[in-house]
Formats: sequence, C-alpha cells, structure tokens
Amino acid sequence: MIFEVIERSLRQPNRVIPVKALLGNCDGSRMPEVIVAQLTPAIAQRLVEVCPTAAFRIEEHDRRPRLRLSYGECIGCGRCFEPSKGGVVAAKSFYWCGHAKDRLVRVWDLDSRTEITPLPAEPKVARGQIHSLLGRALNIRQLDAGSCNGCEAEISALTNPYYDLERFGIHFVASPKHADMLLVTGPVTRNMADAVKTTYEAVPSPKLVVAVGACGCSGGIFAGSHAVVGAVDAVIPVDGYIPGCPPTPAMLITGILEVLRRRIAK
Amino acid sequence: MNANTPAPIPTAEGDLQGAMFALPQAKDGCVARLVTIFGSLDASRKRRVHYVFDVGAEHYREMMFPVEGSVRSIALKLPAASWYERELHDQYGVEIAGYPNLRPLIFHENWPDGVYPMVDAVEGVPWSNRQYHFLEVQGEGIGEVAVGPVHAGIIEPGHFRFSVVGDTVLHLELRHFYTHKGTEKLFEGSFVNAGTMIAESVSGDNCFAHAVAYSQAVENACRVDAPPRASAIRLIGLEFERLVCHISDVGGLCTDVGFSVGAASATRIKESLLQASSRCCGTRYWRGIAVPGGLRFDLDSRKILEFSQAVSVAARQFSDLAQLILNTPSIQNRFETAGILPRDMARDLAVVGPVARASGIDLDVRRDHPYGHYDSVQFEVPVTHYGDVMARARIRIEEAATSARLIQETANALPSGSVLVPLELLGELHGSSAVESPRGELYYWLEGHDERLTRCHIKSPSFQNWPAMPFAVADNIIADFPLINKSFNLSYSGCDR
Repeated sequence: MIFEVIERSLRQPNRVIPVKALLGNCDGSRMPEVIVAQLTPAIAQRLVEVCPTAAFRIEEHDRRPRLRLSYGECIGCGRCFEPSKGGVVAAKSFYWCGHAKDRLVRVWDLDSRTEITPLPAEPKVARGQIHSLLGRALNIRQLDAGSCNGCEAEISALTNPYYDLERFGIHFVASPKHADMLLVTGPVTRNMADAVKTTYEAVPSPKLVVAVGACGCSGGIFAGSHAVVGAVDAVIPVDGYIPGCPPTPAMLITGILEVLRRRIAK
Repeated sequence: MNANTPAPIPTAEGDLQGAMFALPQAKDGCVARLVTIFGSLDASRKRRVHYVFDVGAEHYREMMFPVEGSVRSIALKLPAASWYERELHDQYGVEIAGYPNLRPLIFHENWPDGVYPMVDAVEGVPWSNRQYHFLEVQGEGIGEVAVGPVHAGIIEPGHFRFSVVGDTVLHLELRHFYTHKGTEKLFEGSFVNAGTMIAESVSGDNCFAHAVAYSQAVENACRVDAPPRASAIRLIGLEFERLVCHISDVGGLCTDVGFSVGAASATRIKESLLQASSRCCGTRYWRGIAVPGGLRFDLDSRKILEFSQAVSVAARQFSDLAQLILNTPSIQNRFETAGILPRDMARDLAVVGPVARASGIDLDVRRDHPYGHYDSVQFEVPVTHYGDVMARARIRIEEAATSARLIQETANALPSGSVLVPLELLGELHGSSAVESPRGELYYWLEGHDERLTRCHIKSPSFQNWPAMPFAVADNIIADFPLINKSFNLSYSGCDR
C-alpha cells in the first residue's frame, strides 16, 4: 500500500512555477491597467460613474483635471473595461504589490494624457537575492480579521505544488508568537478588533504586517458598514499592502517578497 | 416562469401573538422543513416577520406576519428555528416570547443593548462591554478547553468552547459571528445591479453560487428568466465551484489525518482547475460574471470546451486519488464512525447540503426545485445514512464526479444566443430564489423599489448547519474535532455575514 503511494508521488511531474513567471504576474485577478493614449475626459468621467467602490476619482490640481486610480479600493470587477472603449484593460502584469499605501495610487493628467505618479520598478528577485532577503526563514501567521474567505483560499494555494512557498524558506506558522510577519485579510470587524490587536501584540518585534485584499487595504465593499471598524491600518500599523479581490497567489508572492525587499533596503 | 416564483404572500394568516401558529406540514405529515425566518420593514417602517418552509411542493411556502410587540418562539417545537429567532431579535428587536435564554447571537460584548441595526440608526454606535456567559458543564473531572477566535491554520475566526472529560467531549458551545460585517444592511439602499458584488463577498469560495442566487432572485422579481445560454454557462460555473470545493474538502480531510500525499495531490488538482478557469473566463473563482438578467459578458464556446477538457482531466485524477484515499486502512480507521450526526438530529435542525445527504436526508435544490438549466440535465443525488466523516467524504466524492459530468454535457451542447436580457427595475420588486451551493441550500429573498433594494435576506447553508456540528462532535475525542469540523466544511463568513 505505502509503496503504491510513494510510486504515485514519484510519477508526478514537477509543477513548480519559476519565480520569474510569478513576479508581477496577475493572471486571473482582472486588475485594471489604464491605456493613457485612449484616455479622454469623457472616458474618465465614465470610469468614475461605473466604478462600484470609487477606486476611480477625478481630482483638480492647478485647475487641471486628473484621474486618480486607487488599487487599494479596486475589487477587480472589470466593470470599467467595456465603457472605457479601450482606455482600461485587464493588466498583463502588475507591480503594485507589497508597497506603502500611497504607492497604491496612480494619477494621470487628463489634459496632457500623461501619468504623474512614477511606476514602481519591475519586481525582480534573483536566486541569490532571495537568500539574502530572507537569510534564514520567514515565518508568516495568517490572520483573518473578517474576510469573506476568498483571500484565505488564495493564501492556502501558496502551499500547493505550483507556488510552493516553502522553496523561499517561507512557512506558515500556527502561533503569532512564532511569526515574523502577519498576513492580515478582511475588513476588521467590530467583533474581531480586539483579537486583531491581541494577535499583533503577541508577535515578537521586529514584526511586519501586510494587509491583503481590497478589504484589508481599504475596507473594500464593506467600508462604512456598522459592523466593520475599517481597513487593517485602522487597527494596527501596516508595512505593506497587497490589493486584489482576491489577490492571486502570484500577486501574494510578489507582495510578500517586495515587503521584505523594502525592509532590507531601509 | 422561474421555478422559484413564490406564492402570493398571505398576510396575517395566523395569530402569532397568541397561540402558536400551525406549522406547515410536508407530504409525510411531519413538520415541513424550515428554510428561513427573517424580519423586514413595510413601507411605513413597521416590522414584519417572514417564515419560509419547504413543504415538498414545487415552490417554497412563504408566510408573512406584521409584528406588534412580540412573536411566539417556535424553536422549542422546531429546533432549526433557534438561531433565526435570535438573529431576528438582534437585527429588529422583535421580542421572541417563550424562547429560553434569548442572548445576543450576531453581536458580541462590544455592541450596546437595545440597538437594532435594521430599524435604528447605526452611525456612531458606542462601544459597550456586555457580559457573555458560556454554558458551564459541572461535575467531577470536567475541564474546559477554549479555542479561537484566532485558529492555528489559514482559516476563518470563530470560538469553540469544549467541556471535556479527559479526551472525550461532553459538550461543545459555538461562539461565532466574529466575521459579522452587517452585509444584509449593506444591501439596503444599494442599486440592484451593485448588489451582485455584495452577494459575491458573502462567502468567497462560494461566490458564484451567491451571485447566481442573488441574480435569480432579481430575475424572479422582474418575472423574467435568464437566456438559455446564460443559464447553461451558469450551470457550468456552479458545478465548477462545487467540484473545486469538494476536491478541496477531501484534501483538507487528508491534511487533518496527516495523509500528506492525498492533501498535496488534492491541492494540485484544485489549482489546475483554477488555472483553467482563469484561462476560460479571466477569473479563478468566477467573480464578476453572473449579473441579474444573465451574464456580464459571453464566454467563448471554444474556450469553454477547452475548460471542460481540463475539468475532465482533473475529475479523472481526483477519482483515482479518491480510490487511493478510500482504500487506505489508516484513513478508513479515522473516518469511519467519527462525528456521527444522526438522521433525526439532522432533520430537527433542518440541515442541508452534503451534510444532510450523508445523514440520510434526501434533499437537493437542483432536483427538488430546479432552476436555470437544471431541468434539462439528468443526475442522481447520492444519499447515505451513516452520518459519519466517511459518509460525508463519500458524498462529496460522488458529487464531484457528477459535477464534472454535468460540466462536460453542458459544454458539449451549449445553446447559442444572447447572455443578457434587460430588466425592468422600476416599480415594486419582490423576489426570491434558491440555489444548491456546494454547502447546500442557499436562499435569497429581496424587496426593492425603483432600482434600489430595501431589503435582502440571505439564508446561507452554513448558518443552518453550524448548530448541528456540536452534536456530531459530542462523545468524540477532542483530537477528532478538526477532522469532524472539516467534514462539515462550513463557512464562517457565510454564516456570520
């Protein structure tokens, strides 16, 4: 019996997706990318109207209209694609994972059709760098502060044979006392607020906190509910944000490694 | 006409203030299965209580009563009503006469007494510090084990309070609703078309079932059906979700008994399906596809065929894996006789879904109240009477095979035509719909006015099934709790909403 089990395992081909193919990959997330050449004030206005979470906004700056896109609020519903007439498409690659909150926002000047915010560098981590980033292992404690379970499903996928998070020396641990990083999902509900604070306090310093998903970044679709306190940073300090509803496993890996890179660069 | 069109609502059919109203009976003469109980407000903001029963007919029987003061509890006669009555009190402040120990359910210590979010203003509700008392089991050698709300794995929060003698669980008290997000209140005032996104965020891994149930309820309110092509593609999505969920559950059961090969293989098969879905429709979990009136966009028939081929490969691999799992003696030893939920208990608590079918209750919305494309497909509903972990695993394995077959058959004979019909959302809206989600019967009831919702109630299968789980755990050793819990596979967020 046991030999049959072992034989089955050995027969399986290696399915690990190489790091190169993962970093910046956002297939299946439907995060929006703005094609600046197609952007007109009329299209920008339309985007603001169709966006259900107000991720798109129009602002005035020096009496010039600007389009603002906050990835932290975007739930990747794709309702902006069709009415934008090619002005917004599903992103082919996505670098806004693991950054500080202000870096989740992109701004375009509508008169000159140029992007004002700088693009983040393409996430690149060479093999040697991964080791120097981590040194030893990184222990992550996942904390659900009230999510719908969508983010949990994708975080669990990180341990499957395709993403194999353990290859980076990253493990999920059972107790916050063993953790270096808290990966927090969901809007923080009233009923979880105390538990979130207690869990944060139980993590030994130095500690990293990553807010995951539209709800974790901004409260998402639940922002403003009477039973919800707010985004993760309304309750505990956050080091990096991973947007998406839910973020795909590739986006999660990109974000986790970026948070580490920023930490070491400090 | 949609199969779930409700009968006209009888008003003041029984006197709830005084005597207990006559509980509807099913064909076998027993009390009919309770679907849900919920409150709402009429146009003059007076409170009403709705009772929905499955009497074994084609449509559910819905009864609505205006409330003056209190309603009489039916929980003592019908234990399945217990959580619904507590929720009704928490949301609407309706007094439930005769309910023993009417303590808060969805709100914790932080929520002040006397604030009822569905009738009162909810801005700036102060933080309170109420007391909550767990049931204390007394006697020599009885200890308490507290688990949660933050658990040891990548799972949702909830609290379990075990009273144990040695290793054996005498009593388990659940304390949930840590992920309560006031979702039903969020629907209020929201545009009908925006409601889909709220529905998709009720239970992340069953988001498509929620989106379809919500969309069907709106279609029911507008008295239209989704076009045939949209219904067929919805069936593919619903069965895909069931397949993914069941594969994941069987893998989770392997994890909980330390059978790593089975667990890893299941996650591999699941991931291959999610990637196939991403290639077919641009999303791994079918989010943002179903909308009231059909689908937001059409899917390419060729891509659907490729998708169905990936499903067939995955289903074959899963069936091999399932044989290996079921034939492994150490797994048989752990699964068999663990966590038995007897049929009468399952019936009293009106349990639904695979858990009900594993405890001998022959129930499946897809067959009993067919919706969408389900009346044009043939399938068997597996039922077994053992009620243990093994029974629930076997039901899931059989259902996964059926789901894969239904996806193939539907993909091979996909109707052509449009995928969206325009809806007339002006005027009064009143609709409901039930869908068999991977966890069981999911029921949406909504009311609206001129494109906006005034009320949307969600009966989630997890809310119905959670109260049954402690009965399956009692008399087992505490070490078997994760396994029994996994075999129920209930959603915390779906329950807490």
